Formats: sequence, C-alpha cells, structure tokens
Amino acid sequence: MNVTEKDILVKRDNKIVYRVGDETVKVFAETHPKANIFNEALNQARVETTGLPIPAVKRVTNVNGKWAVAVEYIEGKTLEEIMRKDPENMQKYMEQFVDIQMEIHSKRVPLLNRLKDKLVRQINATELDATTRYELMTRLDGMPKHLKLCHGDFVPSNVVIRPDGTYAILDWPHATQGNASADAANTYLMFALEDEKTAKLYLDIFSKKTDTAKQYIQQWMPIVAAAWLAKCKPEQKEFLMQWTDVIEFQ
Amino acid sequence: MEKRENAIPTIVDSPEALAAKMAAMREAQKEFAAYTQEQVDKIFRAAAMAANHSRIPLAKMAVEETGMGIVEDKVIKNHYAAEYIYNAYRNEKTCGVIEENKAYGTKVIAEPLGLIAAVIPTTNPTSTAIFKTLISLKTRNAIIISPHPRAKKSTIEAAKIVLEAAVKAGAPENIIGWIDVPSLELTNDVMKNADVILATGGPGMVKAAYSSGKPALGVGAGNTPVIIDDSADIKMAVSSIIHSKTFDNGMICASEQSVTVLKGIYNEVKKEFADRGCYFLQGDELDKVRKTILVNGALNAKIVGQSAYTIAKLAGVTVPETTKILIGEVESVDISEEFAHEKLSPVLAMYKAEDFEDALVKAERLVADGGYGHTSSLYINTAETEKMAKHAAAMKTCRIVINTPSSHGGIGDLYNFNVAPSLTLGCGSWGGNSVSQNVGIKHLLNYKTVAERRENMLWFRTPEKVYFKRGCMPVALDELGTVMGKKKAFIVTDTFLYKNGYTKPIEEKLDAMGIQHTCFYNVAPDPTLGCAKEGTAAMNAFQPDCIIALGGGSAMDAAKIMWVMYEHPDVNFYDLAMDFMDIRKRIYTFPKMGEKAYFVAIPTSAGTGSEVTPFAIITDENSGVKYPLADYELMPNMAIVDADNMMNAPKGLTSASGIDVLTHAFEAYVSIMATDYTDGMALKAIKNVFHYLPAAYEKGAADPIAREKMADAACMAGMAFANAFLGINHSLAHKLGAFHHLPHGVANALVLTEVMRFNAAHVPTKMGTFSQYQYPHALERYVEIAHYMGIVGKDDQDTFEKLIQKVEELKATIGIKKTIKDYGVDEKYFLDTLDDMVEQAFDDQCTGANPRYPLMKEMKEIYLKAYYGADVNNDKL
Repeated sequence: MNVTEKDILVKRDNKIVYRVGDETVKVFAETHPKANIFNEALNQARVETTGLPIPAVKRVTNVNGKWAVAVEYIEGKTLEEIMRKDPENMQKYMEQFVDIQMEIHSKRVPLLNRLKDKLVRQINATELDATTRYELMTRLDGMPKHLKLCHGDFVPSNVVIRPDGTYAILDWPHATQGNASADAANTYLMFALEDEKTAKLYLDIFSKKTDTAKQYIQQWMPIVAAAWLAKCKPEQKEFLMQWTDVIEFQ
Repeated sequence: MEKRENAIPTIVDSPEALAAKMAAMREAQKEFAAYTQEQVDKIFRAAAMAANHSRIPLAKMAVEETGMGIVEDKVIKNHYAAEYIYNAYRNEKTCGVIEENKAYGTKVIAEPLGLIAAVIPTTNPTSTAIFKTLISLKTRNAIIISPHPRAKKSTIEAAKIVLEAAVKAGAPENIIGWIDVPSLELTNDVMKNADVILATGGPGMVKAAYSSGKPALGVGAGNTPVIIDDSADIKMAVSSIIHSKTFDNGMICASEQSVTVLKGIYNEVKKEFADRGCYFLQGDELDKVRKTILVNGALNAKIVGQSAYTIAKLAGVTVPETTKILIGEVESVDISEEFAHEKLSPVLAMYKAEDFEDALVKAERLVADGGYGHTSSLYINTAETEKMAKHAAAMKTCRIVINTPSSHGGIGDLYNFNVAPSLTLGCGSWGGNSVSQNVGIKHLLNYKTVAERRENMLWFRTPEKVYFKRGCMPVALDELGTVMGKKKAFIVTDTFLYKNGYTKPIEEKLDAMGIQHTCFYNVAPDPTLGCAKEGTAAMNAFQPDCIIALGGGSAMDAAKIMWVMYEHPDVNFYDLAMDFMDIRKRIYTFPKMGEKAYFVAIPTSAGTGSEVTPFAIITDENSGVKYPLADYELMPNMAIVDADNMMNAPKGLTSASGIDVLTHAFEAYVSIMATDYTDGMALKAIKNVFHYLPAAYEKGAADPIAREKMADAACMAGMAFANAFLGINHSLAHKLGAFHHLPHGVANALVLTEVMRFNAAHVPTKMGTFSQYQYPHALERYVEIAHYMGIVGKDDQDTFEKLIQKVEELKATIGIKKTIKDYGVDEKYFLDTLDDMVEQAFDDQCTGANPRYPLMKEMKEIYLKAYYGADVNNDKL
C-alpha cells in the first residue's frame, strides 16, 4: 500500500492517519508496541459485533515497514468541529453526545479487558507516592464492578456526523468493559482539562439522562485522574495531581 | 523447631511473608488461649503501662510522620487509650467461666475469637494501635495490624512497644504483628485470612471489610450534626464545640461537622463563636474555602488535621494565626454543598433553623449525607424532655450526645461515665457494621453457654375448698352465709335438673340464710356461646356475689363462661380460647377472676370433674366450632361433691360419664406432665372406677356407696388431669363426638384401648417434648396401674394385655359397644370426613401432653381400628 503526504488526515505523536480511497489507515510509529496495534484492531472487531455504528476493521498491515490498521473511512464532520462552529447549539449537541455514550454503555462485549484491571495497572504505573496510591486503590476496590461497554476515550472528536445526519464512533483502542460512571468521569476529565464550563454541562446532562448521582460519578474522578497521570502532558500534571490527592471520609 | 522460627519473616512486605507471619501468629494465639486470667491480667497491665510511658514520643512521631494533628492532643489520646482502657477492663473476667447460674444450670465460658485483623487510620494512628492491641491482649486474641502507609512508622512503633511489654510479661512471641510495607493487596489478604476485622476508617474500608466475607467490627464514617436549641446554655455550647472541633485539629471521627442554630439565638451564638476566636468566612472567602476542602466531592488530603490558619492560607484567605475554627454560614444541607460534608479539620458549617423541627430535618439530612450510624449532638436544657425524645427518635446515629463535646463524648468515659471508652465506634447496620456500640472486649470474645438439663417447675392446683361426703351440700353451703356473708346467689343449671327439683335443697338453704337467689336453668348439653351470653345478661341484671353451678359438665362449663363474661365484660372471647404449648407461657394473659363473684361448683354426675378443673368447653353455635378454654383462673373456688345429687342418674349417663372418669385418670397417669401428686389421685380414681362403676351402673341409687365412690373418683381424676393434663384419647374423642354426635364418654371409650396400645409402644415414632419426660415409658406406667389394681402377668407386656382385657370387660359390663360402627356411624360418611377429623384431633389442645407425639397418619389408623374393630383388615389402614 502506498500513502503520500497529501493523503494525511491527522498527525499525532505516535501515528499518522491517512485516507486511502474508502479506507482510513493509521500508520503507527516504530516505537508503538505491536501488541497494542493488534489489540486495537481486535477491540474494534469485537465492538463491531454489537451493531454499534463504528468503522469496520479491514486489516492489520504493514506500510513502509511500519505497522498499520486499515478501517472503513467515514465521511462527515466530527462533533467537536460542529460544536466549535455552532456554540449557540451546544446544549443540543451535548445531549446528542451523551445519548451516543449511553448507547455505547448499553452494549456488552464479554471478551474485552476489564476497566478495573486497566485502572489498577495505570495507577501502579504513576509516580504517585505510596499513600496516595493506597488511598486510590482502596477507593477503586470499593467501587461497584459492572460490565458495560466503555469507550475509554469518548470525546466529541471521536464522533463523526455523516452528511445524512447519522453518526459513527471512532477510535476504540481504549475500549473495556466496566463501570459506565468511570467512563463518564473520564469524559468529564477530558472536558475539564480544556474548559470547566463545558465539563459541567456534560456532567449535568449525563447525570440527568442516566439518573445517576453526580457524587457517584465524582467518586471515580481521583481514580481516572490518576490513570491519566501516566500519559498526560507536563502542563496537565499539576491539575491531575490536585484531583488525586484526596482522602476518604472517616 | 529452629527451622520453623527461621520461617517467620522479620519484615512483612509480600503475600508470602504475610502468610508465614499469620501462621506463626495463629500458633502463638493457640498457646495464648490456654493462659489463665491471672497471666492475662499481668500482661494487660504491663502492656498498658508501657504504652502509657511512651505517650509523648509516640505522639510526636505520629505528628511528624503524618503531618497532621497536634502533639499535645495526641498525647491525651495515647494516654486515654492506655489508661482508660486498662481502667475500664482491669477487673473484667475474660478467661474461662465468666458467669454461672447454679439454679438454672447455666455457665458462660469466654473464648478468644482468634486472629484479629486491625485496620488503623492515619488520623489516630498510635492511640488506635494502643487501644486495639490492649483489648486483644485482654481477650487472648492475636492481632495483626494493617497500618496506613501515611502513618505506618508510628503505628508500628506503638504496636511494637505494646508487644515487647506483653512478651516480657509472659505473652507468646508473635501475639501482635503488623504489615511493614502496607499495600491494598496485603490489607485485603489480612482481612480475608483473619477471624474477625476490627476496622476503623472510611467507606472504602467498610466495603473492603464486608467483601472479605469476615465479620467486621466498627467501621463507618461520621458527619456529626449539632443542634443548638434555644433553651441551651450558649456559652457552654459554643466553647464545648470549639474544644471538641479543635481537638487534634478535628480528626476524631465523632467531631462536630455542622452546627444548626435556632433562629432566635442565632446572632447570639454567632457572636459567642466570634468572641471565642472563630472566624466567619465572608463573601468570596466562602467559595475559596469550599474549593479547598473538597475536590470533586472528595476530601482534600491537604487540609486533614491542619489548623484553621493553614487551611485558610491554602484557600488564599487571610485570617489571624490564632483562629480556632473557620465557620461557613451556609444554607444547603445537600451534598452538593461542600460544607455539608465531613471535613476532618477545624472547618465548620453553620445553619440557621426556623424552629426545632426544621433543625431536626437538617440534622437528619446531614447524617444521611455521610454519617449514617455514627454520632449526633444536641445542646438543650435537659428539662426539654419532649424535644430530646424527638431528636433521639429522628437521629439514625448510634451515639447521641447531649450538651457534650462530641469528640470526647463519643469515645466515652470523659464527659459521660456509662459509655464504654473506645477508639472504634460501631455504626450499626446503618453504617454497614455488625456492632452499634463502642467496641470493647465484649466484642472480641466468643461466649459459650453451657446449659444443663433442668426440669420445669410443676404445680398442683385445686379449688381452695373441696368438700365431699354424701349429704355434705347444706353444710358446705352454710359457709356462704355464715363465713362469707354472701348476699346474692346466682344458680346455673339445666332444665331437667331444675324441673326435677335438684335446685330445691340449695334454694331452701339459701333462703334459710337470707341469701337472695335466682336461677338460670336454660343450659343445654354442649352449651353454646349464645346460652352463655343469655346467662351473663341475667347475671348482669341480678348482680350476684356468688355463682352456684349445679349439673354435669355442661352446666358447670356454661357457668364458668358466664362467670368470665360477668367479671370481664370487655374481654375478647376468641383471645381467651387461644391455644398454647405451655399454660405458663401462653401469649394471652387470662384476666383475674373472683373479683365480683365467688364460684361454687356442685356436680350431679360422676364424670367431667369440672368442679375441680381449670377447663371449660363452649360451642360457637354460628360456626359450630368448639372452644376449649383453659386457665387456672377458671378453677371454681369451692367444689361440693355430694353423691346425693347423683343417686338417680340414668344408666346411660352413669356408664358414659364413668368411663370418662377412667379415661381422665389413665391419661393423666401416662401424661408427660404426670407428677407424684397427680399419680396418687389418678391411681385411686382408677381403682374406684373398676370397683364401683359396675355396681353404680347396675344398681344406681340402690348402692349409695358405689355412687359415692364414683363421685370421689370423678373429682380425684379431675384434680389429676387439672394438673397433669390429658392426651390424644381426648383429642380423638373430642372430634369423634363432634363429627358423629356420640356422647363424650362413649367416644372416649371407643378409642381407649387403641390409644393405650399406641402409647405403650417401646419405640414410638416420636416421643412427647417435655424436660421431665426422659424416655418413652408409657408401657411401664400402664403396668404400674395394673399392679396397683392387682393385675400381674408373666411380664410387662402380658400385664399390659391383661389390663387392656380388664378395660374391655368393664366397657362390656357397662354396656358400651365395641366399635364406632356399632353406634350406627355411616361408613361412607365416616371415611369421607376422616381426614378432617384427624387433622382437627391432631390440633387439639390435649395432644401436647400425650407421652407419644402422634403423626396424623397414626391417629387415622387409631380411628380406623376403632371404627372397624381391632381385627380390621390391613387394606383398610
């Protein structure tokens, strides 16, 4: 397969995404672990079986000696672009965004990894001191264990609205099965890193639509914040640390 | 030996090391479990002394390590944990037999639980470690401590000091242990593998504790709400709250989190707080502190146990360095309000309440916000008992402290002296705990109760006066006038007796004594509730101070019921009729009788014995249901057994009531409640029946001696079964009589020998349940009867057969037919109703005292044999 500069859709630290005909091809940096690439394709293939509108995996391949995953190309605009261009209708878009997330949470994919296991690994990989890790682990251990499909990186830029109004959900490498409120806390955190007001709007709508107490979602926040510490940008570190340094009521 | 000691790790930092440590601790505990009280008390004292000596270095260490709290206050906590705990339990028995009741034959033996897992919080690390290790030593348990990483050094040091002193005083090595490098994995392992969890901490610990599957003692978060009522002493209230809230910078879990003040005194309370060095947050300061104390709804670790000044600084608010408490005046009690939460620091929420009710609603909500089961506080004039009761009822907290600093009040023995001193406060089921009290030694022991078999207290109860001898009636009645001074007598009898002049001698005697009298003579056989009500109405109109029942069982039973309804018009008849297992433990308490009228019973037949029994049977004519009433309150006050009243009884009555007497005596003799006292009565009654019933039946009035002996027999048998009760012969006869309209005595006679055979079985399916009834021995009891009668066979079985034969002969002599069938009971109808009859007979009040507990199919077999005769074909059974 040949890809050229003009086919580039987006460039990230560890991958370049091309459009080649009716396919989107993610070409990963050589440093990216091979297992992660196969896992991404496998996760996506597993989620496809739920019937959710997601790009179909075509193949795992090799482009110029680098591992790549080819998936179906989805024509349209991301919800992020739409929100940015039309802030007047933010409320409406956010509701649609939450509806889609709830649709995801309604699915079950028994063979996916467990979210809790992943969080434990991530917290252990942080540089947090033993005391904070102990507090976080105790907190995580006490949280209810569910088996809902969680996207793991559910943000408006991962939702594409086609010209006909239908949608598709992109990027499934972080998909797990676990507690939906943890997934919501994660999304809240992604918003909060950018802008607190949008984050609040999201939390209000999610909490209302799913009839979940905000406090319950908030209980996950120190945990997801710690999980992000492992891979965050340096400027986000202080913010995340503040979220994790909490203590249980006693 | 050496090898095993080598296997005990010096550092516990992995699951393997932990498992080895716990194994060694279990060995140590096994040894410790055999220690005497004296040895244990010596160890307990030495350990408490050592902990007390180290109170200052430990306090310093805890503050230095955790960066939280105040050294001087932690010294108090350590001192308290050592001294108060020792003082509270120094004389308590915790080894071996700790309680004995010789009369009841019970002993309570205290045993250790085994290996205790202790979770110790960062807020009170050294004092909690001292507390838990001391109470474990006193109860001969081993204890392994899982410290919090933030406080592990000081927690372990405290445990080490206690352990060293304990071992020096003779405790086994390894009786106290700890995790050196704490992790969640090891904490969970400790909880899973211990025998019980003694946890102090927050909701995460609660969940971990109960998901470990082991019993958990005392874990739960607090969110203590204070209410200051307008009757409170404001100066005392405010300073108490400040004292408690600043204690170790607010880290005691029972510490005040919010103060709700009634609006009438709000300003005064506010002024007092300000005067005493508290800072009221103004304007945007409130929001700054809000954002500082909670992060996404969780408590900011940086503020815990810090001073008000430090917290204000963190929030960017300038307050004097000496500020005691930061107070936020807020309105919402919802958890979206940061101030409504537990703060573990000198930060307090203050609410204004419209009235006491409003304050209660707020406090209830604050408890629900995060303090279920923990502590609540009220400042009030204690004369306001109604408000205090309302508050106590509304608070779902296991500690409710009044006019008391809640930190000090909750842990006990400082501001109140009947609350166990403890640093582990149970929060009950509300807080997910197995205990709701302050945890102490009693929660760390298993109590074995050793209970020896004891026999029930028994009794022998009879009417106050039993007068007998032919011609005694007027003499006995004389007492009513000359001794008791009765004015109005109400006679109850049946129409036949009345019309045939049986009441005459009584009426004449009453007239002679100037006692007014009237007679109700409308009693029919199987008296109904309707009849009893009619009689009661007449009684109410006449207002007697004396009731004279004259007749057979029916008249006496009806009179007893009228007596009850006359004395207690409000009583619910169906309550009176409630069945019981043990007459002393019955649910219904029978009303006191004899307040209005004295009850005299004069039998006219030798049968029921009702003149001396606490029983009466009445039929609800609407439903057809027969209600047996039984209570010693129903016992007549005077029985007059005068055979002159029985001389002319017809043959059928003599026969049926005579065999009834025999059945009473037989059943009372073999009853599980038979005693030496009732046995004498029963045996003599049986002998009289066998000797005199044929003559009484054949000759009637021509043999007055036989009549008299039968009258005595009926009364003695009555006294026997009034105390020893009956058995299934009567259960079966009651229902047979009711279903097929057979006279009661005849019904008894028809099943009598089958029941005897059934009871005499050496290996019954089930025996009767009564402590005195030690093993099945009905056969031996029947043989005793036979021997008393002079019947002797070649062995017990043979003697028993001869007794049966004698009974059959007696039945034949007095004209009782052999089978139910012989009495013209239709076979099809009998079989159709059989199952109903069996079930009702099984449920009869008399079944309980039978020596053999019957299965329903066995009762059915007896009925079938009695219907067809003993030689009934097997296919019918």
